[in-house]
Amino acid sequence: MKVTRRDLLVWSAGAAAGLIVTPVPWKLLDDTSIWSQNWPWIPQPARVPVEMKQSSCTLCPNGCGLRVRMAAGWPVGVAGLSTHPVTRGALCPLGFAAHQLNWHPQRLRTVRHRGSNSSWSEAQRAFAKARAEGPIVIIDGYPGRAASSVLETFAQKQNGSYRVVEGPETRALKPYASWSGVPASALGYDLENAETVISFGAPMLDGWGAPGRFTRLWAERAAGRSDPQLRLIQIDSTLSRTAARSWQWISIRQGSESTLAAGLAAALLEQKLVPARGPIPAVSVDEAAMQTGMTADAIRELARTIVGRTPAVAIAADDNPSIAALNLLLGAVGTLGGIVRRSKDAVDHIAAGDAISSARAVLIDASVPWDFIHQTDAEVFRFAAWDGGSTKADWLLPVPGFLEELTDVPTAPALAVETYAVAPSLVKPASEVQSAAQFLATVEPSLIPAEKIIHTRCYNIFRALKGNVHGDEITPVAKFASAQKLEAQLWKGAVWVGEASPPGGIRCELKGWPAAPVLGAAENWSALWPAPVLPPLASKLYNESSLREAPDRRTV
Amino acid sequence: MARKTFFFGFGLAVALFAGWIVFPRVLYVQKHQPLDFLHKTHAEKSGIADCAECHTIREDGTFAGLPPMEKCAGCHSDRISDSQAEATLVDSYIKTGHETPWLVYSQQPANVWFSHAIHVKRAGLACTECHSSYGESDQVRVYQVNRISGYSRDIWGHSISRLRRAPHEGMKMSDCEDCHRRRNVEVGCLGCHE
Repeated sequence: MKVTRRDLLVWSAGAAAGLIVTPVPWKLLDDTSIWSQNWPWIPQPARVPVEMKQSSCTLCPNGCGLRVRMAAGWPVGVAGLSTHPVTRGALCPLGFAAHQLNWHPQRLRTVRHRGSNSSWSEAQRAFAKARAEGPIVIIDGYPGRAASSVLETFAQKQNGSYRVVEGPETRALKPYASWSGVPASALGYDLENAETVISFGAPMLDGWGAPGRFTRLWAERAAGRSDPQLRLIQIDSTLSRTAARSWQWISIRQGSESTLAAGLAAALLEQKLVPARGPIPAVSVDEAAMQTGMTADAIRELARTIVGRTPAVAIAADDNPSIAALNLLLGAVGTLGGIVRRSKDAVDHIAAGDAISSARAVLIDASVPWDFIHQTDAEVFRFAAWDGGSTKADWLLPVPGFLEELTDVPTAPALAVETYAVAPSLVKPASEVQSAAQFLATVEPSLIPAEKIIHTRCYNIFRALKGNVHGDEITPVAKFASAQKLEAQLWKGAVWVGEASPPGGIRCELKGWPAAPVLGAAENWSALWPAPVLPPLASKLYNESSLREAPDRRTV
Repeated sequence: MARKTFFFGFGLAVALFAGWIVFPRVLYVQKHQPLDFLHKTHAEKSGIADCAECHTIREDGTFAGLPPMEKCAGCHSDRISDSQAEATLVDSYIKTGHETPWLVYSQQPANVWFSHAIHVKRAGLACTECHSSYGESDQVRVYQVNRISGYSRDIWGHSISRLRRAPHEGMKMSDCEDCHRRRNVEVGCLGCHE
């Protein structure tokens, strides 16, 4: 029998049909996908015994507790630390994937000068020249660290200026600072003792403050209960993630938060639900109803609900004096379950956004969010671990990445008590990197290094004999035999927690009801992180999941 | 028509034979362990009753995996029998100080983090639930390695179709998910892929 071309085609068709019902295609697909995970240029953790280390995250000022899985000296996995007194095991999606950041293609490995490769010595020469020619402005995004102290000291020595970029939680406390003289960084919300929280657009259950702080409180005292111990009233123009999970969602017109705060104040006074303390709002309940889209009765009802379970505290998404004035009327300032003064030592700094009259150079620390744009003609030295894309900085200077640098972790914004932790360097940087504080120390050798400042701070905690150290167990500071032992505990991932301040300590003087400010949109961690530098795991967890709100979510 | 049917059927038969019979034999390479370690002999003669006596979980919850050389040297610092396997162990590894290069049947990819502590201590799973009764076997299995993925056949399971597998067969992600579903235990991606 002569086999023709047609026979071969028919044979092939039969073979193809047969192959589909064998394991070949599916098994090859599976094996190839696994094979592609093991290409030689893909970094693989070593097959060695795994070690667990405890530390704190330093990617943002919230300082979440970390449990880091290490293999052959490299972090290969990150999880939340359940013994951490604030975050109690919670982490944001970025923190979960942070160990991948050091391998990110956008990782800065060399000094860049206006788009070209340069060197540290050239950067030092340029900075020394600028320093000799005029004042230096230093911008810090994570004030309170030992490194911040180095930056501030340098600015003072140079007759320069030290400025800070504040997060929305700290900015929301600014009105109390301006009325009382107590720095915003010394204030916090005593949410642990509050029974009603009225959030004016703050994403309380979706990235507000330290991850886990409010969500854990919510899970323990409210979730799934019709009459919870902790009531969260979310005032939002859209059904945000927090609004969807809150005890009560109040829908208002976007941008009318200040008017609603004034209307609520008017309703509280009209119904004599609170004593008349402080200024009277200029807006009546009916006017507020017209502007917010609510009915006057609904505003009066909301006022009654707020005082129905106290302590009650209102939380603004950003700097909003009307909401701060509402808190004054509610008696929520300087009281348990309200705005409390957590520290007596904190100092206020100039906000980074304020205009700079003249500066020869601006040094921007790596802790400043990448998208921060400084309007200046000065020469800009931008420190960063990851290149977030287009930048106007003249110099891009690579800093240590995740867990590559010893740093301390001061109190997170909006906490009611002081905390202190140390994040030791667990990984050696793969390339030549310097933090801004290390760079300044090479330029000005008389600066006290950050490590020594951390040592002093640990000693001061030991000497004050106050608070507890939260490690595997809780140990009062007074029980530590020496400062070295206390410091050793902090280096192992323990966290010092100070004592709660007694009520009082904040005396606000407000002459008239504040004018409504121009409001920005609420932010969570993802708004502050440069999009191209998201680690793959965080992309999966957040960007490609339903955790991320749609970009047009906040439009009415 | 008959001619077409013949060639189509012939092609079909060749593909089925190649796919079901030849392919699995070609896909896996057979390797032998460096020496014949018999779990049953150790259990019976040495009185080792519990897997955890050698395969320990450390205090921090991490799994030590295979016992290190010192553990073997505790009994086999010198030959105590006339077994060829023991002679290899003592002469080639214990006396030279080299770890035995065991081929691990259940070795998972590097992006997987399986916590023995959680499964054994918290959930109370028996070792046999995943590792079958290998701990009682009196012979050494041949180690079959996948030419493409580089992992052991135990991960996929012995059945190439994955049909009619025994409960302990297979260590793919879907096997983990099935087990969790059966026991009504929810776990997110980060439970295993930290």
